[in-house]
Amino acid sequence: MSIWEKMLNLDRRWIFLLIGIACVVPFFTPLGLPILPSQEVVSIYDYMENLTTDNAIFVGFDFDPGTAAENMPMGVAVLRHAFARHIPVFITAYGPLGQGMAAMALDEITDEESDDYYVYVNWEDWASIREQGITDRAGIEEAWIAAGNTLSENAHGWVFEGRDVAFLGYLPYFHLVILGMSSSIASQYPTDIGGTPLEEMPMYQEHKSLRDIDLAVTTAGSSACVAWITYGREKIGLPVAFGVTAVMATDYYIYIQSGQIIGQMGGLRGAAEYETLLLRDGYTKSPGKAFVGMDVQSIAHLLIIFLVVLGNIAFFAGGFNKKTKLKGRR
Amino acid sequence: MSETIGIWVAAIFTIGIYSFLYKENPLYRLSEHLVVGISTGFGIAVTFTQVLKPKLIEPIAAGEHGAWLLLIPAILGLLYITRFFPSVAWLSRYPMAFLMGAGMGIGFPLSMKASVLRQLEASLVPIYEAGMPWDVVVGNVVMVLGTLAALIYFFFSKPHKGPFFGTGSKIGIWVIMVGFGATFGFTVMGRISLLIGRIQFLLGDWLHIIK
Repeated sequence: MSIWEKMLNLDRRWIFLLIGIACVVPFFTPLGLPILPSQEVVSIYDYMENLTTDNAIFVGFDFDPGTAAENMPMGVAVLRHAFARHIPVFITAYGPLGQGMAAMALDEITDEESDDYYVYVNWEDWASIREQGITDRAGIEEAWIAAGNTLSENAHGWVFEGRDVAFLGYLPYFHLVILGMSSSIASQYPTDIGGTPLEEMPMYQEHKSLRDIDLAVTTAGSSACVAWITYGREKIGLPVAFGVTAVMATDYYIYIQSGQIIGQMGGLRGAAEYETLLLRDGYTKSPGKAFVGMDVQSIAHLLIIFLVVLGNIAFFAGGFNKKTKLKGRR
Repeated sequence: MSETIGIWVAAIFTIGIYSFLYKENPLYRLSEHLVVGISTGFGIAVTFTQVLKPKLIEPIAAGEHGAWLLLIPAILGLLYITRFFPSVAWLSRYPMAFLMGAGMGIGFPLSMKASVLRQLEASLVPIYEAGMPWDVVVGNVVMVLGTLAALIYFFFSKPHKGPFFGTGSKIGIWVIMVGFGATFGFTVMGRISLLIGRIQFLLGDWLHIIK
């Protein structure tokens, strides 16, 4: 057996081991490779930058744990951006597991042990402020501080349930839910997942249907994201942005070109680009998980390119393009 | 404490799934079966607590005005279960027929608009206009010719011979291959991302040796 034939018959477990090493080592010796945000990610970021407390967005956690490594950083990054700018966020999920993912994202953002966290203020905790008739964002925060509440050093701010965020969760046949929400959000979600009536929430009083919503960001691991275009964008002109897995990214670039979505985060790279923009503008103090993972991604890609080139050299140098069969197990 | 136990369980089953890379083993099979079982169980629990209970059981139990109307979709839904009884399995066709009919009626016009007409519209661009940057012109030429060539490749009513169908279909193959290449590249990136996510969990959340 020639050396070329041995190379092509290499036990694939050696390749798995090499990839494993390539994915672990850079965590201990970060290279700090630059991440340049692409236009399709910058478009989403800039759109968010133009929104204020008077606007509202939907963030759909339309994925399950299988693609959480890619989709979760996107959802977390968009939520951080919205919370930092006090843009009210309705959180939904296309599938039951997506609801769990959304809960995990909120846990991550409100984790007091992290460098960048928000203090979650439950609906009941600021009831006395509502009873005073204060419902505007600035007034709520002012009254909250006047009540003696302070932020710790690592905290970015408060997130008031019902004013800054409403966790609506999962409903089946979500495309029909989107259609229903184009008339009234409360017709589909009379309460949030904690049982708080939507009708009582200040953010709902200002944004009663999808027609009052300024952006829907769907972080999806399946074709669920298309439902937002079909039933949101095409039906009522709802601006939509995608955060999709890398595998799906090429399929959905066509929606950028056709102007049906304002931008797209593709895979871990897309999430890292959004995190880079948040870091640049001071919305976060430290890089997020996707940002940290990109060094590893680059090294792993270099190794894969090297192996592909090596495999092709072995294939052609060994003359296997002229032979019908390669000996040995493959 | 419960969080620590959760992390340990997740770490053990992550290793269990990745152990398949060496060879199939009982821990891998256990992990795989648990993923399917727990996902289904979680889905049923969420659906019951957030859909069936508040939107069907509670309104009927409370005797809300007009709640009896909910019995119609409830009975239609229950008819699915007749699939398990061969003598009355035909009844399950009614909810399916309803869903297919309603789904087609609601979805077809909007899907046609979103996925076909809008894409057609986006393909019908002027290749060149005065003052257009050269890179946009090149992009438009590639897009229009690429779309046409790929469509010719999938046109099977004529033999792929001659300057139009022959050359067009060959260019179409190349265009499709470029598309496959881009998708493969993104797929590699996606798979590595998933591995990175798990390594971050194992080294960070579990072993605490990275931040």
